[in-house]
Amino acid sequence: MDSSTRIQHLLEVSNLTKYFDAGRGRKVHAVEHVSFAVDEGMTFGLVGESGCGKSSCARTIIRIYEPTEGTILFEGKDVSHLSQRILQPLRRDMQMIFQDPYASLNARMTVRDIIAEPLLAHHVVKKREEANEIVFRMLERVGLTREHANRYAHEFSGGQRQRVGIARALVLQPKLVICDEPISALDVSIQAQVVNLLREYQDESGIAYLFIAHDLSMVRYVSDAVGVMYLGELVETAETDELYRNPLHPYTRGLLNSIPVANPKLARQRNQSGIEGDIPSPIDPPAGCRFHTRCPYAKPICAEETPLLKNQGNGHLCACHLYD
Amino acid sequence: MSEDTILQVKNLRTTFHTSRGDVQAVRGVSFHVNKGEIVGLVGESGSGKSVTCMSMLRLVPDTAEVDKDSSVLFEGSDLTRIRGRQMRDIRGEKIAMIFQDPMSSLNPLIPVGKQVSEMIAIHHPEKSKEERKQETLSLFEAVRIPEPEKRYSSYPHEFSGGMRQRIMIAMALANHPDLLIADEPTTALDVTIQDQILKQLRGLRRDYQTSIIFITHDLGVVAELCDRVEVLYGGLIMEEARIDDLFDSPRHPYTLGLLSSIPSVTQDRTRRLKPIPGSPPDMTNPPRGCPFAPRCPYARRICAVALPEFTTIGAEHRSRCWLLDPEAPASNNPFRPESEGQTQEM
Amino acid sequence: MEQKWEMLSSSNEDREKIWSRSRTFAGDVWFRFRHKPTALAGLVLIAVLMAFAFFGPLFTKYDYAEQNLTVVNIPPRMTVYDAPDGNGYLTITQNLKLLRVDQDGRLGEQLSRVRDDDARSMTIFDCGGTEVGLYYGKTPYKVCNPDKLTVYHHRTIWNRSYLLGTDALGRDILTRLMYGTRVSLMVAFVAAFVNMIVGIVYGGISGYVGGMTDQIMMRIVDVISTIPLTLYVILIMVIMGSGLQSIIVALGSVYWVDMARVVRGQVLSLKNQEFVVAARTIGSSTRTILFQHLIPNAMGSILVTVTMLIPSAIFMEAFLGFLGIGLQPPLASLGTMCNDATENLRTSPYQLFIPALVIVLIMFGFNFVGDGLRDALDPKLKK
Repeated sequence: MDSSTRIQHLLEVSNLTKYFDAGRGRKVHAVEHVSFAVDEGMTFGLVGESGCGKSSCARTIIRIYEPTEGTILFEGKDVSHLSQRILQPLRRDMQMIFQDPYASLNARMTVRDIIAEPLLAHHVVKKREEANEIVFRMLERVGLTREHANRYAHEFSGGQRQRVGIARALVLQPKLVICDEPISALDVSIQAQVVNLLREYQDESGIAYLFIAHDLSMVRYVSDAVGVMYLGELVETAETDELYRNPLHPYTRGLLNSIPVANPKLARQRNQSGIEGDIPSPIDPPAGCRFHTRCPYAKPICAEETPLLKNQGNGHLCACHLYD
Repeated sequence: MSEDTILQVKNLRTTFHTSRGDVQAVRGVSFHVNKGEIVGLVGESGSGKSVTCMSMLRLVPDTAEVDKDSSVLFEGSDLTRIRGRQMRDIRGEKIAMIFQDPMSSLNPLIPVGKQVSEMIAIHHPEKSKEERKQETLSLFEAVRIPEPEKRYSSYPHEFSGGMRQRIMIAMALANHPDLLIADEPTTALDVTIQDQILKQLRGLRRDYQTSIIFITHDLGVVAELCDRVEVLYGGLIMEEARIDDLFDSPRHPYTLGLLSSIPSVTQDRTRRLKPIPGSPPDMTNPPRGCPFAPRCPYARRICAVALPEFTTIGAEHRSRCWLLDPEAPASNNPFRPESEGQTQEM
Repeated sequence: MEQKWEMLSSSNEDREKIWSRSRTFAGDVWFRFRHKPTALAGLVLIAVLMAFAFFGPLFTKYDYAEQNLTVVNIPPRMTVYDAPDGNGYLTITQNLKLLRVDQDGRLGEQLSRVRDDDARSMTIFDCGGTEVGLYYGKTPYKVCNPDKLTVYHHRTIWNRSYLLGTDALGRDILTRLMYGTRVSLMVAFVAAFVNMIVGIVYGGISGYVGGMTDQIMMRIVDVISTIPLTLYVILIMVIMGSGLQSIIVALGSVYWVDMARVVRGQVLSLKNQEFVVAARTIGSSTRTILFQHLIPNAMGSILVTVTMLIPSAIFMEAFLGFLGIGLQPPLASLGTMCNDATENLRTSPYQLFIPALVIVLIMFGFNFVGDGLRDALDPKLKK
């Protein structure tokens, strides 16, 4: 239906903007003019500090929140303003994994019922009993066992719960899974389990992920391309290797420098500094480049003019006046 | 107990009596902390690292029972024996604690400055209000809270998570404690803020010679901060080493597993991370032998039936693993480097 | 010896095994509940009262409406005089008659009156051939030998015919108490159930839909709760007339406001939790979200509110009965029994004391259970 010159992405977000009402006529600038695309079988990582709008962005894409502006194309279809009723069958192809493995599972339901819920919602099975085989297979797929099916979520460890959450998201074999900080609440040793599980499944099924994280370390192992968000705006995006080899935006560099170095000798020698200060309030974001209040390289122009996301070669986009 | 040792924990055991049976959270933990030293307690959730510290200060709930044979020697007195009043004097004045969630440790109805200044008042009632305020302001400056004068009368909810954690540190430092226990203080924070807090803690040790026990699940953070590490698993110390030894020559499969699951921004990213398979043991029914045996890629039969004792590897380096036993065969043994060829066979 | 160094093969099952007994949330709550002595005592108390109310009538030979005017106002512990014919005892009824009482304390026939002896303030009865006199000149009245004017030997014994005595119409208080407790509990349970349903539906809709709907629905609740509930119930009773149904309608239509508020609050806080958001992203229907996610998780607070609501419904029913606009005679409820008792309060205080005691016990029972349930549902509340 589209002109053949345009490549159709699985998910294409353009100019997405989401404001929340903060009362007294003020608004929270949660997401502003964010554009990116996710292709089939690919993973796009979205990274930023808490409060940068990455979760709001995810929740707007999956239409828990209504977008204020912009379009969300899923398989070429504009889903940004569809009603929940029309959206319902489309949800089968777009699922979500949540951050908190404790809060995202209903404590009054058994693991079997939790994983069977999407099957029932989309009438894949008529009765709960018919779902059993699929549920067992899914449990084994995520490294749990049949015996776990009759237990309640609160009896599991954090990593096991998160795998139940993943099983629930994957059971319908969706085309896209939005992973909203799925590893932030887990121990490092368990994070690797989850990351590997997601990657293995991707290799098998060609699923696409939008992977959200608050630091750059794990994202590297899952993503094909990474976008860095700061205070509601996308400040840099590039292919993963390009971004880590050649980070352009001072914020991206700061984020990279903040990651603890798991080598005591290097850690002692290291004198690169992270980022000073806190992320400003999204209710009243700084004018110009939003990062200028914490940027070690800020120039006068940064406080006045908002830098635009420009191609710096190799499909590496960066919004910074340093590269004008 | 050497001159420098300020804290000596011996055979600490804590059991929780719950509706699901007795949870043996800590099963005989012994370690010490020297003056001006930063000791990391590392382990996954449920390894008993937090409970160890809570039991030391007797901050565990009523459902928990600390074994009678346990002893926690701090500056000559046994913290498991002393009475309530003395305990309160030690908590906050000599030993301070900071937690993962600073919001729950701050009173939302009282300005933060007042909370810190009252902390001083509890242990130094002789100081005047003005003195206390000045001290509080200099503490705020020390933990780098911008505009301390203005922030003095702000309420906790007006601060970000990182700022609140700084206030907690300021409060913990109010009485210049000899020992600071930091229970995952950066786990809930962004890396950028974590980086700032870690700097703060390093400065603290440098400026005041404060000893710190740092609890975390992240060996990366440990590498940045600690002098010595206790690796905990299943309520037991699995390996104890100076930080360089731990990273250069780990002598426990669990430590190996933790190290290989850390992501790196410099390594080849197509290499898959090697997570530790499985989940931490259920401490209502801990494994009979080595608690790590079910998840250990090198486990032998003996590991499942008998708990290994500590093997001393070097100065301040000991580990609890059957593979370090002199009788242990060299095949598929990561701690016998000459056997590397054979490892492949398995 | 060598075997111990063989490789251990661990399956995935071993690594992921959960050892602790599987227990549902309800199982957990029950565990904490039964480890609280007051809660358990409350539960036992309620069970005993319910058994008393529902199975008790099987073991009594009286009917709640059966009147026996010869035995009015006989207390559970009565003063008896040795019968002169040596055949058991005699006791004085309130309408100045003499009743035979056997050795064990069972009431027998009434003695026939021979004549009045006004000069000596005495009524003479025939007791197996001998005359006995009932002296009514001064309280306490006495049974005496009319010739010698000597008072017969007397003592107090337990009433074996009517264990808790009789009321002003000669009805067995124990039987009426069973029926009264039954009615009170029934009224309370039905009212609580109606309140729960109305509250869940109203509060659930208000909280889940939110926005303007929520605003309007909650303002209606506010208006209802500004009118004193007692007044409101009385008005309904006046309009609908007395009777069991109108009591239930009156209580049911008023007490739900608290329940609606509780449910709304719960739903409001639950609907933004991640597991509910997750259900929405899955594409679950509103019905699934409400009945599988929201209500089951709100059920704890709902149950606590219900157990706290039952005693207040019982109290309100008793209060209405006491005012005389509750049940119509001969039906008994704890309230109407108290009301009836007030007429004879000076001579027969036991008639008020007994139903009042049962009301107190019910209140204790439900409040203990409610408290225990609240603690069991929210273990954090304690520490």
